[in-house]
Amino acid sequence: MNAIQVQDLRKTFKVQKNREGLKGAFADLFKREFTEVTAVKDISFTIPQGEICGYIGENGAGKSTTIKMLTGILVPTSGSLSVGGYVPYLEREKFVRNIGVVFGQRSQLWWDIGVIESFQLLRKVYRVSEQDFKKRLDELVERLELQELLNRPVRKLSLGQRMRCELVAALLHNPSILFLDEPTIGLDIVVKSEIRQFLKDMNREHGTTILLTTHDLQDIEALCSRVIMLDDGRIIYDGGLEDLKQRWGTGREVLFQFGNPTKLEQLEHWTTGMPVVWSAENELGAKVWIPLDLNVSDVLGRVVGQADITDIKIIETNTDDIVRSIYQSGSAEKPDEMAAALKDEREALHV
Amino acid sequence: MSDKLETAVSSSAGGSSAGGPQESSRRLLMGAYLDFIRIRFLTMLAYRVNYYSGILIYSLNIGVNYFTWMAIYGKGESLGGFSATQMTSYVAVSWMARAFYFNNLDREISTDIRDGSIAIQFIRPYNYVLVKMMQGLGEGIFRFMLFMIPGMAIAMLLFPVQLPTELSAWVGFLVMLFFSFLINSQINVITGLSAFFVENNEGMMRMKRVVVDLFSGLVVPISLFPGWLSSILNFLPFQAITYLPGSVFTGRVQGVGIWNVLGVQVFWFLVLLIPIIWLNHAARQRLFVQGG
Amino acid sequence: MYYFGLINEYLKNYIKSRLTYRADFWVEVVSDLLFQATNFIFILVIFMHTDSLGGWNQNEVVFVYGFFMVPFGIFSCFVNLWGFSERYITKGEMDRVLTRPAHNLFQILLENIDPPSLFGSLIGLVIMGISGANLGLPFEWWTIPALIVLSLSAVAIYTGIYTTLTSLSFYSDAPTGILPLMYNIQTYGRYPVTIYNRAIQVLLTWVIPFAFVGVYPAALFLQRDEMKGMALLTPAVGAVFLAIGLLAWNYGVKRYKGAGS
Repeated sequence: MNAIQVQDLRKTFKVQKNREGLKGAFADLFKREFTEVTAVKDISFTIPQGEICGYIGENGAGKSTTIKMLTGILVPTSGSLSVGGYVPYLEREKFVRNIGVVFGQRSQLWWDIGVIESFQLLRKVYRVSEQDFKKRLDELVERLELQELLNRPVRKLSLGQRMRCELVAALLHNPSILFLDEPTIGLDIVVKSEIRQFLKDMNREHGTTILLTTHDLQDIEALCSRVIMLDDGRIIYDGGLEDLKQRWGTGREVLFQFGNPTKLEQLEHWTTGMPVVWSAENELGAKVWIPLDLNVSDVLGRVVGQADITDIKIIETNTDDIVRSIYQSGSAEKPDEMAAALKDEREALHV
Repeated sequence: MSDKLETAVSSSAGGSSAGGPQESSRRLLMGAYLDFIRIRFLTMLAYRVNYYSGILIYSLNIGVNYFTWMAIYGKGESLGGFSATQMTSYVAVSWMARAFYFNNLDREISTDIRDGSIAIQFIRPYNYVLVKMMQGLGEGIFRFMLFMIPGMAIAMLLFPVQLPTELSAWVGFLVMLFFSFLINSQINVITGLSAFFVENNEGMMRMKRVVVDLFSGLVVPISLFPGWLSSILNFLPFQAITYLPGSVFTGRVQGVGIWNVLGVQVFWFLVLLIPIIWLNHAARQRLFVQGG
Repeated sequence: MYYFGLINEYLKNYIKSRLTYRADFWVEVVSDLLFQATNFIFILVIFMHTDSLGGWNQNEVVFVYGFFMVPFGIFSCFVNLWGFSERYITKGEMDRVLTRPAHNLFQILLENIDPPSLFGSLIGLVIMGISGANLGLPFEWWTIPALIVLSLSAVAIYTGIYTTLTSLSFYSDAPTGILPLMYNIQTYGRYPVTIYNRAIQVLLTWVIPFAFVGVYPAALFLQRDEMKGMALLTPAVGAVFLAIGLLAWNYGVKRYKGAGS
């Protein structure tokens, strides 16, 4: 079953234009000018139940607007969507009982009173029975180690502590779909990895579907099996993280350390017929670039028997680089051309 | 704002040979201060809904006050030295004045203090209090020109409000109005800066508003208060905001009396500078020594 | 039932967070009352110079003033939309409200509940009692029920007008400065509307019906027969304006644009 189904979703905002200067301001008093901005341009995707999906894109790409439509906050301009079996904006109050939402930059907890009081209130708001609430709270508190924090007012919590409490607040009613908007923003590495682990466990144990937006690609690498990438309101990539790396990674690099000086010509000679590129690091080191369609082991096989090797290091292209290059090209449609361009660039460097 | 500042930079750079660097930087700063007026004016202008409803509500205010006083006068004898006609123009004028002198500087300043942004304001190369006054002036000019004048025009069409016709009365009124603005803003600044020393000055701000509305003569002309109260009010700055200029404008005070009124306003303006300078100094001390 | 439970829960949280700042509570009570005192002093001063305002004597005008305070206190306590545009639209808290399973306006009202205002209602009752006794008004079996019904109708009128105005902030991104101006206008409902000219009377009766939160309903207790019909209309006007307010609000929420992107 699909948790989220989106078809040709579009959102257009009317933005007021402010004319410049005093004259412009007076003119605006009597006649306003508007420009239409389409934040989300006819996107379609489906997310099956139990999947963790990363929703990424640069600032202003339309991520937040999509999330807000999926959670029922905004009414779409056109297109259809179904989340957990509901049309979010039509039956909002019924619908939101099945979802949890965390906005990383905003708190849903009461500032001045103990965290537990906020939880109690949310229990009433979400109509969770006392028993279910207790069971669920105990589980979450133990898992996120919040025992000592429960009676502290939110204003006395650190950002990391607060974020863990926000997660509890969003999960008390055991939602089947969880939306996270920048859940790890501003947190330190320890808390980040704790939260990632927690989300992963929750997805495994309860089958919770998770859609998260983030600028931190480590989140994506740690959590998501699937990535949807947005640029200027359009989906430019939708698929597995591995696929993304496959399509966009231009190849791998292997770094050799030799026991005695090895000439570049010698290395090239050993790999004749293979589309690889060698470069020398220093007298005792060399690097080889291997395109994706070639097995690393084949290349290694040719070298290992011949040279005196002290160390080998395989370097994968990391997601950060891939994403950056996609953003720069503005499209994931033609990876081949881009890859070729990248390769040319590399070759140029090696010459 | 930045483009205006830039043009100020280039023009003063050209003239620096004549005035010297000191002179030109002073002129630059003056330009910046004037710009605060302009920016606030433009900001107010940006809110269209506020503008239209503002005119409507201002004319309604004048109308309601007019009829209330007509009902109070009933058969038209005089109250507290005001004839019915004088009273109606007094009411109209005091609301017109309020449009100009009213601002929320107290609230703005105490918000700046409470959220800590005042620290940034204090390290900028301008005088914070002066900037606030300029912003208040921008707001006043806006309300006066765009709420009050149209509001008054509508009110005069609908109700028989009478305003003086001599030019001199208007010139005098505008000068006194400017002092009304200064004195009221000074009181606001003092109330606002008190947030540095009082934990919650919300109560103070509300109290100040009631006191100013009541004791400045906006709600009731001071001469209508019981004798003991009006004689106390003679020694307070509030009458200089509405009551005194209003009395001049309605022709109740004439000749030398006019200069006396102006003198009282200047006096209070100077006196109120003292606590502001002191508070500003103390606030800086507190901010930089104790770190907010 | 669900919503009553929530009121209770929100009130508890209000009290808990307020216990931290106890002094503020009294500051708020006192300054609230002071605000209202301006008009009271106006009435007192006026009647030092005259003994009738459009045919109403001092005790009658003071009685209307007292009645006015009752629904106003209740309204200010439960329908506090002052900072809405700033807090919920500009700072984006509306997003959070919309992702919770209770009616959004209801949540917002509960989050901004302001019990100190109820002191105003209490003082209003006292003022009504004193001036009513001075006038020798009879205390009938229907006095209390009528007071309750008329006060609640007046609260409905306030709520309708202010939610309509507040819902404007869904359409324009400008913070609305109309509310404070409206605040001025509503006090005019405290005086016998017959002193105003026809246009203002119509305005205060049918367009922004603040006459129905003060002088009309109070006239019922004052046995002023010329306004009795209007007094009895109060619940109907309340229902109509509340409905307009809620419609405007719900429509506005659909047009909500969210803060930032």
